[in-house]
Amino acid sequence: MDKDVVISVENISKKFRVYIDKGSQLKERMLFKERNRYEDRPVLKDISFSVRKGEAIGLVGHNGCGKSTTLKLLTRIMYPDSGKITMKGRVVALIELGAGFHPDMSGRENIYFNAAIFGLSRKEIDDKVEDIIAFSELEEFIDNPVRTYSSGMYTRLAFSVAISIDADILLIDEILAVGDAGFQAKCFNRLKQIKAQGTTIVIVSHSLGQIEEICDRSYWIHEGLIKSEGKPVDVHEQYLDYIADYRQEVAAKEVQRQESKRIAAEKKAEEAEAEAALNSEENDQKESTASSEQAQDNSGEEIEPTAEELVSARKGDGTVIVKKVLMYNSNNVAQTIFKTDDKIRVDIDIEVKSDKEQAIGVAIGFLRLDGVLCYSTNTLIDGYTVDRSKGKKMISFEVDKLSFLPGGYSTDVAIVNEDGSICDYLSNALSFEMICKHHDSGVFRLNHSWRSSSEE
Amino acid sequence: MIKEIYAYREMIFSMVQKDLRGRYKGSFLGFLWTFINPLLQLLVYNLVFSIILRSGVDKYYLFLFVALIPWIFFSSAITGGSVSVIAQKDLVKKIYFPNEVIPISYVTSCFVNMLLGFVVVIGVVIYSGVHISPLALLCLPVVMIVEYFLALGIAMITSAVTVYFRDLEHILTIIAMAWMYITPVVYDIEICPTEYRWIMHINPMTSVIIAFRDILYYGRVPEMMTLLEAVVLGVVFLLIGCLVFRKLKRRFAEEL
Repeated sequence: MDKDVVISVENISKKFRVYIDKGSQLKERMLFKERNRYEDRPVLKDISFSVRKGEAIGLVGHNGCGKSTTLKLLTRIMYPDSGKITMKGRVVALIELGAGFHPDMSGRENIYFNAAIFGLSRKEIDDKVEDIIAFSELEEFIDNPVRTYSSGMYTRLAFSVAISIDADILLIDEILAVGDAGFQAKCFNRLKQIKAQGTTIVIVSHSLGQIEEICDRSYWIHEGLIKSEGKPVDVHEQYLDYIADYRQEVAAKEVQRQESKRIAAEKKAEEAEAEAALNSEENDQKESTASSEQAQDNSGEEIEPTAEELVSARKGDGTVIVKKVLMYNSNNVAQTIFKTDDKIRVDIDIEVKSDKEQAIGVAIGFLRLDGVLCYSTNTLIDGYTVDRSKGKKMISFEVDKLSFLPGGYSTDVAIVNEDGSICDYLSNALSFEMICKHHDSGVFRLNHSWRSSSEE
Repeated sequence: MIKEIYAYREMIFSMVQKDLRGRYKGSFLGFLWTFINPLLQLLVYNLVFSIILRSGVDKYYLFLFVALIPWIFFSSAITGGSVSVIAQKDLVKKIYFPNEVIPISYVTSCFVNMLLGFVVVIGVVIYSGVHISPLALLCLPVVMIVEYFLALGIAMITSAVTVYFRDLEHILTIIAMAWMYITPVVYDIEICPTEYRWIMHINPMTSVIIAFRDILYYGRVPEMMTLLEAVVLGVVFLLIGCLVFRKLKRRFAEEL
């Protein structure tokens, strides 16, 4: 093995026993043999990597891919089923911060106990305790019991202890979300400092930006195997691309589910309506004229409000209404997640309720979740004529490249008369999310390139 | 392994401290229970064995007491020790540290409790007027350490096995009770019929208790054979305990 290598992981695998219904008592074990059945769920199949002294690596992957398990194996909380892990030097894990805290003991006592769990002697702790308190910025509260701390203070104290121990190898699981933004920045800077001093760091995080900032290499773990490794930016691009595909799949299923639910509800409502109509007819026949009029009024009141409600929740005169808005991807699948520069189509189902002389326009607008209007247009501006005859129709809005940058967006749809008065205005008719493997910022991704030339 | 546990001595120290402080926390008499509890037990056994079941042993209260205090240490170490790892499952699952620290701390805190109990024992010995040779007194720490090893070795086994098999906790309370009666705690080994004496001798606690009684009741240096037997058994059990624990601790985080 190379002398510089401080972490060497060779072909490790790990299975977890998943008990179908575990009985840990003797009685249960004897009486219900079948309860002890378990499945072996392989979490890590074959992972190998090595880290040199002073390097920082990041482990990325979706939930359940095995990255946290890898880290747990590194900390030696668990052991691999096969393969070998060799580590040189003192290992400190920032995994479950404050796990050893005792709520009734003061902050200072907890520092002592927590540091002792990391294997420090009393003298070593004595030397560090002031630094730890100073770093945590909890001087005022340090002699109060930790149960009186806020959760932010709690993690701050725990992080301060862990990071103050002179580790040769630092293992970190998703903990840079400590305290407020200011304290986070401080922790992050401290981490960089520690790295500069030659500490080897392994980070598991969903915050790819943080990994890119601090790590030299990234490993993408997928279903227990290393799918890709290399420069963080490159690995993360592949990973994000995969995630985008995956999430689109999930979102498409959800849209389908919602749609079938909606159709079922509509059907039910129609049936109920028909029944109500039938009932009122029956009533008509049975009741005397005076009361039958009243009955008709009642049934009328029962049916009408739904339509009225729909209109009153919106703006507009209701002469034309929007029935349904759905967004599709290039494969003609209804979707709520799109990648930047995807081809999309928005289908707007409308119903013209009453004829009027005026032409109508269909308007669509996209807003970012913070309310910024990103783009809006309508058929009148574009000179596209919408047929105004009574009945249901569908208008499609197609975009070749939807170049919004990542984030949540909502869509407003409106029907307007030529004179500008509103027939129907549906705000937040549809919300969707944009994802992107690139890291540019702003609202749109501009199609761009860079060039340089030097002046002679 | 010893080196690593040494590195974690501060943790052991803190845990023992926490345990001792926490043991009687919130109770009215607090720390006094360390003394009251053995005295009351002594009272009960003494009533039973010198009034109802007359044993005919001279100064029975002393005869019993010098064996009872070490026995209470041993039995609480193995029964309480069995759940010590489970009780610390949050730590075991979340942080790496040599897990041996847990049974070590628990048994150590029981041991400290016994030492405090010995304050009372010494008081009773002085009250009884028994003369103890200085050489015999020198053997006392040796016997205590041997018993500590023995208790630790067994507690390591019980604490590790209980993680996988929780019933052991309850089974152990029965075992501890039965064990007390196959150990000459409340009676003299001479009472036991010779044909059953072998049961006593495969019991590692027999020689320990006999040694304690030799020193504090008869005031004499224990027989070399008794002492040697105790030392060997203590070391053997500690080694077995360490091996079993090391093997079983690998899956602690998953089982807990």
